[in-house]
Amino acid sequence: MKATPWTILPFPCGASFADRRGLRKDLLVALRDSGSPVIVDFSSCGTLNHEDIDLLLECAAQAAGRETKVLFVAGTRVNRVLLEVTRISSLVPVFNSVKEALAYPQIPTENEVEDLRVSQFQKPGSA
Amino acid sequence: MELGAVVVVPVREDLMSIHEAQPQALQASENSRPFYSSRMPILGNDIVRSWMERVRKLGLQSLWLTSSPRDESVDRSALAEFARQGVERLLVIQLKSYAEMDLADLLRFHCESRNPVTEAEDARGQLGVCLRDYLALQATGEKSAFPSAPTDSGPTPYQFRGYAKRILTAKERQELVRDALTGACAMRPLGTEIRERVWVGEGANLADSVRVIGPSYIGARTIVHAGATIGPFASVEHDCVVDCGTTVERSTVLPETYLAPGLLIRHQLVDGGYLEDLSWGAVADLRPAGLGSRIQRREARRQAFREADVHAPAGRASARDFAPSSTASQPWLRVQL
Repeated sequence: MKATPWTILPFPCGASFADRRGLRKDLLVALRDSGSPVIVDFSSCGTLNHEDIDLLLECAAQAAGRETKVLFVAGTRVNRVLLEVTRISSLVPVFNSVKEALAYPQIPTENEVEDLRVSQFQKPGSA
Repeated sequence: MELGAVVVVPVREDLMSIHEAQPQALQASENSRPFYSSRMPILGNDIVRSWMERVRKLGLQSLWLTSSPRDESVDRSALAEFARQGVERLLVIQLKSYAEMDLADLLRFHCESRNPVTEAEDARGQLGVCLRDYLALQATGEKSAFPSAPTDSGPTPYQFRGYAKRILTAKERQELVRDALTGACAMRPLGTEIRERVWVGEGANLADSVRVIGPSYIGARTIVHAGATIGPFASVEHDCVVDCGTTVERSTVLPETYLAPGLLIRHQLVDGGYLEDLSWGAVADLRPAGLGSRIQRREARRQAFREADVHAPAGRASARDFAPSSTASQPWLRVQL
């Protein structure tokens, strides 16, 4: 399996409306177009408002059905609680820190699984 | 010997003032401090009333109700004033536990052991129930004048071996809810048992598609919308609204709380716009995300009640006659039993 580099994206919390809009666009584009796994880091957010929750749900929706894997870094217990209450944590793995998220085992993508099968098949002595 | 009784409700004055002055201050609170009062009902039951009933069984006609900052006893000068008013023995109940205690047995033990002070304890320590005799009452007010007078330390405590549970933290409170729902204690949910271990209070409204898994309790006038799941081990107190698809499991929802649609409340306590996670102790503000709030329709009434509470002693003859109310920082209410 290839070790794919992670993309770490800061979550646009506490930003002005214009900045927020820009960051939101970048975030969604990255999730849509990036071939690498994406870590969305909102550990610097003191709390999450309804716009934040909506955006996190959108992130989860963007990643669903794609090969892009998304992980959330909540930072605080309060944020983790809010993700549990909104059931987001049942859709996306949530971590306390970026370090923890980086240690999360990378699940092979469909193509990689295919590569893996081929390489296993070619192994001498394999059935 | 004339016996008097006082029930002291612990309050978090600092937290109350934060709520009023800085509503944002609790948004990112990570501490495990409770944010509700021990006066909040448990399965529709008022713990103060359960203690009042026990005091009434002692033959008392009335008791005094006051409040005190948590972990502090009642104002010492006020206690000493009881002695000056002719009360020779005082039963002080701090509302920090629910205990199925026979107070007559405590009184008997107190008399037999001839201690000036008797504290009730269980295996975990003091239960907040104490009997003080005249000498001890006097000593609390004038300790320096009575250096040899018996103090709180020393005397043999009353060992209580019946059911008792502390109620000062959300976790302890949830344990009491669990025990009451499973019949592990004498407390029973205030409502009709519509099927095995499912109780519903008067005027509660449950949509047809609501799933209630016992043991569970839904309080009076609470509305549970379509697709919601309540239970197991859930208590939704009176006048709440649980919106569509929300699950409340192993949790308590305190009175007059609105919960938004689609939430998962699991092992948590929700009080209006605030939620405490029982595992982590983290307190989250649900309001900015629109996930929960206090139902406003009764807020005005509650505020009026609170103001009446504060000002009531000055307006009542019994309270005005009682000197401690002029020196004590807390209001005192005389309650007829």
